Amino acid sequence: MFASSWLILLFPLLGFIGLSWYGSRISRNLVGLLGSGAVGASFFMTLVTLSNLMFLPPEERVGQVQTLYQWVSAGSFELNLAILIDPLSVFMFLIVTGVGFVIHIYSIGYMHDDPEYSRFFAYLNLFIFSMLVLVAAADFFFLIVGWALVGLASYLLIGFWREKPSAVLAARKAFVMNVIGDVGMVIAALVIFEHFGTLNFIDVFAAAPDKFRPNDDAMLLITLLLLVGAFAKSAQLPMHTWLPDAMEGPTPVSALIHAATMVTAGVYLVARCHVLYELAPVTMYLIAGVGGITAIFAGSMALVQNDIKRVIAYSTMSQLGYMFLAMGIGVYSLGMFHLMTHAFFKALLFMAAGSVIHSLDGEQDLRNMGGLKKVMPLTHATFLIGALALAGFPLTSGFFSKEAIILSSYHAEMGNIVFWAIAVLTAGMTAFYIFRVYFYTFSGELRSPDAHPHESPMIMVTPLLVLSTLALLGGFLGPWVDSFLGPVFGHIAEHPHDNALESIALLAGIGGIATAALLYMVSKERLALFKEAMAPVYDLLLHKYYVDEIYDYLIVRPTKAIGLFLEQKAERDGVDYVVDQVGLQVREVSHVISLWQSGKVRTYALNMIVGVVTILLFVVFM
Amino acid sequence: MGQEFVLLISASVFCVGTAGFIIRKNPLIMFMSVELMLNSVNFLLVTYSSFLNSLDGQIFALFIMTVAAAEVVVGLAIILTIFRTRQDMDVDHIDVLKG
Repeated sequence: MFASSWLILLFPLLGFIGLSWYGSRISRNLVGLLGSGAVGASFFMTLVTLSNLMFLPPEERVGQVQTLYQWVSAGSFELNLAILIDPLSVFMFLIVTGVGFVIHIYSIGYMHDDPEYSRFFAYLNLFIFSMLVLVAAADFFFLIVGWALVGLASYLLIGFWREKPSAVLAARKAFVMNVIGDVGMVIAALVIFEHFGTLNFIDVFAAAPDKFRPNDDAMLLITLLLLVGAFAKSAQLPMHTWLPDAMEGPTPVSALIHAATMVTAGVYLVARCHVLYELAPVTMYLIAGVGGITAIFAGSMALVQNDIKRVIAYSTMSQLGYMFLAMGIGVYSLGMFHLMTHAFFKALLFMAAGSVIHSLDGEQDLRNMGGLKKVMPLTHATFLIGALALAGFPLTSGFFSKEAIILSSYHAEMGNIVFWAIAVLTAGMTAFYIFRVYFYTFSGELRSPDAHPHESPMIMVTPLLVLSTLALLGGFLGPWVDSFLGPVFGHIAEHPHDNALESIALLAGIGGIATAALLYMVSKERLALFKEAMAPVYDLLLHKYYVDEIYDYLIVRPTKAIGLFLEQKAERDGVDYVVDQVGLQVREVSHVISLWQSGKVRTYALNMIVGVVTILLFVVFM
Repeated sequence: MGQEFVLLISASVFCVGTAGFIIRKNPLIMFMSVELMLNSVNFLLVTYSSFLNSLDGQIFALFIMTVAAAEVVVGLAIILTIFRTRQDMDVDHIDVLKG
């Protein structure tokens, strides 16, 4: 029934291989068509799979494993090339291929003048393929394969403009952070294998509740190790530093990887392994705590950044914090729902920001923008929709998903007032910073006189329109998401109702928008006064809490110093010295021996005779 | 003629050859010394062949002479080539293979 589901993975892979081999030899239009077409075909196959899945009764929808062939079979250990089809993976397929397809279309316009057009699309397809491997994996092995491939693809895409040193540095930073996560994942997989004797999701999750009691050491170890990977990939504290820097990549990459798909892998991992996490309540609290702290921490940094993409990047971190908060308090389908709406409106925001950057010839500084409302009406409208959705304005998609998480953070079993307060405060900040960007960019007068802004071509605006429709109306999918994902999580999430708390959260959002309007639209003097009063805080936020500097002092520099010391003392004076001396001494000794070989025939003869005579004397007289 | 006499003759010829080989620097003379050594052994072989009434020794002697003849041919050719290239017949100067 799901045999054709393999095609979902096949198309992007073919796209990647084809474009990397023939991409430079075929026309640009064809490259764009093939690159987008591969993902479009994959999206279509996802829809087919989805409809097949919907025909099954809900309880049969989980645990559909499609095995292509057996790869390894050693004793009791089996490794199959298999994909897992269940509501959760199909849900992720839909987001990855759907949003990915829209972003591919957008890239045709955005990257149009780039000399390495085909390389870009090849990487994009590789990324989509990797993400699909990650999501489709039916065991921890292929999960890690996908996990590492995604890291590779993001490295390639962040460093796409390889002649730009900052992009290369950012790519390296992202890769190193991600590899730290990969190591955690690999160790986790080994520990799982040691305890369960298999890496298969279905077997492990089936065996776990009987084998372990809540908070057993093994469960804590496994969940924490998996969490290292999840936090690294999803840019949660303290492994978040790579995400803002990753904005060095082209804007479609930011939209695709750092908003819609890759960074959600961590959330997906927790959702996929929720059986294990439920056996480790301590880890659950940790997830909720870290999620909450990341949300408010990133939200506060976004308040003052001046780079349009960085604000949105911090916002991504902050929204991921919400998702982790939801995971931590056990309302998985709400977290997945927010993941979906976030994918819609954040991809929209990034692409609208990309449209602005594109029309201002690469200008990313908010302070040089302004007044684009008149010149770019469509971009303006779509950005506004994205901003409203992010701020949680009523009836937009973000409103439904965020409100549900905020309420659950108090009302869910593991929720409490602290989580709730953090979530509400972050909601206020979110509304403020995104409307700060909005007012800076679209209202007032243009602050850079040389720029000639213009509306972007249709090929870039159409994806914006599609996504803005989703961002506007996606919230109404909430009940469907809950019931669709219900079989995976074993229960249908409840949406608590609490008018008082709901209104407070709503007021926080609207208050944020109003404050931004007041400061950036109405009164510039007040802004200046405000800035002056908050100068130390402002500085702290602008420097991102000095986390990069702290890491530099605590980790990078000591590591470099140790490396330098070892290079000098251990390598040069130690290993190298020994190796050199062995060589030198052998040469000395053999030089002495080689003096025997004088090249003189008569000496050889004499030596030989002396030898023979000695042996003879020895034989005769001994 | 006793065996001691034959052994003495053979040994002294061998020693003359050896000494010649070591002392002389002219490759031609050295070659001749080698022939002396070979022939001293041949002498022994033939003598003992007749003492012991066995033809083995004489056959051996024939072999040795054949090998010696072949060796001289090759050796003389080498010596000739060396002389042509270096115009110098001192073996002590031919030491390009030293370590």
